[in-house]
Amino acid sequence: MSRHWLLLAPAGAFLAAALALFVIDAVDRDTTNPTVLSAVATAGGVVAAVASAVLLLSNAVATPAELFGGQLVVDGMSLIFTFIFGSVTALVSLASLDYTRGLPFRAEYYLLVTLAATGMSLMASANSLAVVFVALELSSLPSYALVAYLKHNRGSVEAALKYFLVGALSSSILLYGISLVYAATGSLLFADVASAAGEAAATYPGVLGVGILLVLGGVAFKTASVPFHFWAPAAYEGAPAPVAAFLSSASKAAGFVVAFRVFVVAFPIDAVANPSTYAVDWVLAFTVLAVLTMTVGNFAAATQEEVKRMLAYSSIGHAGYVLIGLAALTGVGGVDAESTALGASMLHLLVYGFMNTGAFLFIALGEYWELGRTFEAYNGLAEDAPVACLAMTVFMFSLAGLPVGGGFLSKYFLVVGAVGAGVWWLGAVLAVNSALSLFYYSRVVKAMWIQPPAEDREIDGYPPALYAAIVTAALVTVLLLPGLAVFDGAAFDAAAGLL
Amino acid sequence: MVLSSVPAEYYLLLSAAVFCTGLFGILTRENALMFLMSVELMLNAANINLVAFSFYWGTLTGQVFTLFTMALAAAEVAIGIGIILVLYRNFDDVDVTGPTTLRW
Repeated sequence: MSRHWLLLAPAGAFLAAALALFVIDAVDRDTTNPTVLSAVATAGGVVAAVASAVLLLSNAVATPAELFGGQLVVDGMSLIFTFIFGSVTALVSLASLDYTRGLPFRAEYYLLVTLAATGMSLMASANSLAVVFVALELSSLPSYALVAYLKHNRGSVEAALKYFLVGALSSSILLYGISLVYAATGSLLFADVASAAGEAAATYPGVLGVGILLVLGGVAFKTASVPFHFWAPAAYEGAPAPVAAFLSSASKAAGFVVAFRVFVVAFPIDAVANPSTYAVDWVLAFTVLAVLTMTVGNFAAATQEEVKRMLAYSSIGHAGYVLIGLAALTGVGGVDAESTALGASMLHLLVYGFMNTGAFLFIALGEYWELGRTFEAYNGLAEDAPVACLAMTVFMFSLAGLPVGGGFLSKYFLVVGAVGAGVWWLGAVLAVNSALSLFYYSRVVKAMWIQPPAEDREIDGYPPALYAAIVTAALVTVLLLPGLAVFDGAAFDAAAGLL
Repeated sequence: MVLSSVPAEYYLLLSAAVFCTGLFGILTRENALMFLMSVELMLNAANINLVAFSFYWGTLTGQVFTLFTMALAAAEVAIGIGIILVLYRNFDDVDVTGPTTLRW
């Protein structure tokens, strides 16, 4: 049993960091050194990521380990995602040192980040609908407050209001869905829901079907999938840029890990949608969501005039790519193709965790220098800040899927999985959308390297922590091109273990 | 028991009615506080289901989960009130349709 407690080390690291910040802030809040706060939160993230990687690569969870009477489960998938959360938390906490310089309530800021990360790692391990809801709230509530962190900035407050309103609505929809699933199956544990799902689909198809659809709606909000994406552009644009990085990378991944586990484990598609007992065909629902999300996200991104808003819509587009992993569970290609598609979704979220966080942190650098929001504001920036611009170029091309970073490989695996599962046209939609995305990503690159600077620009120093975070994210993005080989076996095994 | 003489479907109808009332409130009210109250109604609709079907299935899972959701609803309101407070300080109003500096 003692082995089991060690398996929760990633979540424990976040919780320990949060409690340490609590104590530090309570003891002496006036003279607290902000470097200490940032270091504690960053250390929490690094420890969580390292512990996840060690547990994952040492094969400690060859068989999934269930804890607390089956409420939590630690397996390959949960460790891959705690690795993502750890890395993103570390990068964001490091970058926030410079971004929040001179602002009040810094301890609370890092505290909320680490608490939200704790909630996300519990979401990755949730094995019952009750834990899903509690963990989702633990990650959402601090996020609302983080978006409103700049409380005298109207944009920040408005973003928090919209995020909170839509978030509260969707969490009540999710809870109502959970209550209907409980009404139909009589249990909240995934395994018990799954074994009762077939009979429930035959006896109460309406209750179970509506319940599953409402759960899907709640998850689609968390992952910002069209048509539940309306909060995302406003929240990401108004939020402080490091918080936007945290939400669009880690919070989105947390939504996806819940989607993967709830739908694949608790609502087996054979039980809830077959010709004799039809409740709801969630694979079809995810196929529609994937196509809509990819297309709407990318087309909307192409029409934006502000870089942060473009990144917000591109983040919606990437949610669409990841949804292919669930849309490909058609049963046509067998377990091999399905685990490739689902594993590729996890890999894409892993790479995305670095390249998207890095891109938003570059925006944080722009906000630190008060450059302005539009593409033109970045004109000729490469002369003043070549290193940061090179990193941003890597992020942009990797997001577009060019072979300069890990984004190329994860998209390649997604297409392979989609083709193998007999939904080759989803792969085609992905390819067309990626080509479109190259258009708007390259606008940033063109502005930075080719356009002449519009007017004399004052670069106000080079914030070391923010730079360190951006350069680290860029290095990892590039290294993940060959380095994804370390993770791809683990991801495909994790997906196969789930199916 | 009175409970056992009421068919389970009635609880589903009641909770669906409460849920729809809350949803209607969210779609029509512009005051942020009314929005919060409507969300509470929707959460309580789920609680009705959980408690009623906890009895129907003869397990305690739903009842215990209801205690969790009530605590979480209170926490959500606490955050929501905080955000509405800074909204009022910045925009001098708690009308949710007021702030439009960010386009949708």
